Amino acid sequence: MTSSHGHHAFHLVDMSPWPLTGSISAMMLTTGLVKWFHQFNPDLLILGVTATTLTMIQWWRDITREGTYQGLHTKAVTIGLRWGMILFITSEVLFFFSFFWAFFHSSLAPNVEVGSCWPPAGIQTFNPFQIPLLNTAILLASGATVTWAHHAIMESNHSQAMQSLGITVFLGMYFTALQALEYYEAPFTIADSVYGSTFFVATGFHGLHVIIGSTFLMVCLYRLYKCHFSATHHFGFEAAAWYWHFVDVVWLFLYISIYWWGG
Amino acid sequence: MEYISENRTNIPSLRNPQIPSRPAERKVHLSQLFAMASLIARSLVLNSRRGVQLTSVRFANKMMADPMEHATGLEKQELLSKAAGNENPFDMRVYKRVSGDQTNPTSVPSFYERRLVGCICEEDATSINWMWLEKGESKRCECGYWFQLADAKPMV
Repeated sequence: MTSSHGHHAFHLVDMSPWPLTGSISAMMLTTGLVKWFHQFNPDLLILGVTATTLTMIQWWRDITREGTYQGLHTKAVTIGLRWGMILFITSEVLFFFSFFWAFFHSSLAPNVEVGSCWPPAGIQTFNPFQIPLLNTAILLASGATVTWAHHAIMESNHSQAMQSLGITVFLGMYFTALQALEYYEAPFTIADSVYGSTFFVATGFHGLHVIIGSTFLMVCLYRLYKCHFSATHHFGFEAAAWYWHFVDVVWLFLYISIYWWGG
Repeated sequence: MEYISENRTNIPSLRNPQIPSRPAERKVHLSQLFAMASLIARSLVLNSRRGVQLTSVRFANKMMADPMEHATGLEKQELLSKAAGNENPFDMRVYKRVSGDQTNPTSVPSFYERRLVGCICEEDATSINWMWLEKGESKRCECGYWFQLADAKPMV
């Protein structure tokens, strides 16, 4: 069979507009944030969010087309994608490391301004054995169900894979709902001393990552329903599962250090 | 084809209205125990004869495609090649140099008119010596070995 492919194992991608639209929309996002903060006008930000979302949808749709429908994801290409996901998750670990650094910097030697104690004087912290403990159980359970889904896929068990991945997505959304409720009911705000800053920045970025991870898993659920995965080739799902486990581990660190030790 | 129904008529208290439905009032008679045991035994015997894949309707969900059937394009060619015994369909191996002097240069296969070649001059070399190899002319690496470009035939 002759092809213009050149008989190598790699994927030299076709020309695509999404890197350009992605960089333009990232610029609109960041500049829009500044405009919202300083001039109280969110229009540019909304435009940036829309453009970013559209870029992501179409870029990843194209990757699905290249891999699943065109069969361009050989073993070598999949290995490259694995390394890419590992490196990305590593960068995210470093991102969260900085927020934990900030938290420990402020909490291990509390300033006189907060009362030389931690939690600072006047801060009413969350009881770690109420909703936060339930959230911990939810994420741990979702780690188990996503592993169940993986094994089901590897054993070609479609209905169990759908069920377990569906439960995983549900648990992710349940966590988000509970955490949103906690935010609403919190007796302190982000403006309440360095406690509020470290708490809401760390848990807030974590919550954003839960939403990202849940979305990734939902896309995988849809692709599983449409039979994009086979028992031996389902890297999109594996990447989502890795990301989900990362989100779970970050929560465990958050729970132990901020909610429990810091409360 | 007979199969064991797992619907509710197997629950004794529903099949027989004389059996009280509150657990505390239920007394399990020996005959009922035997009935239950024989149901299980029948299920096992029938299922082992039909094979695990068909155990009951509930388990007939190995519905995902066979990976070979599911694959397409270049990935499928790679899988077919591996299934046929060729573990290296894209020729990714490191080549071993031949004696390599000007009269007998090492042949490097290529589908194009030129190819990048990297010579690992000695086993413990800490860098690779890269050079472009053009069709027609042999080239010498600094370590003394000669290379020439040859036409490659598709392996996949």
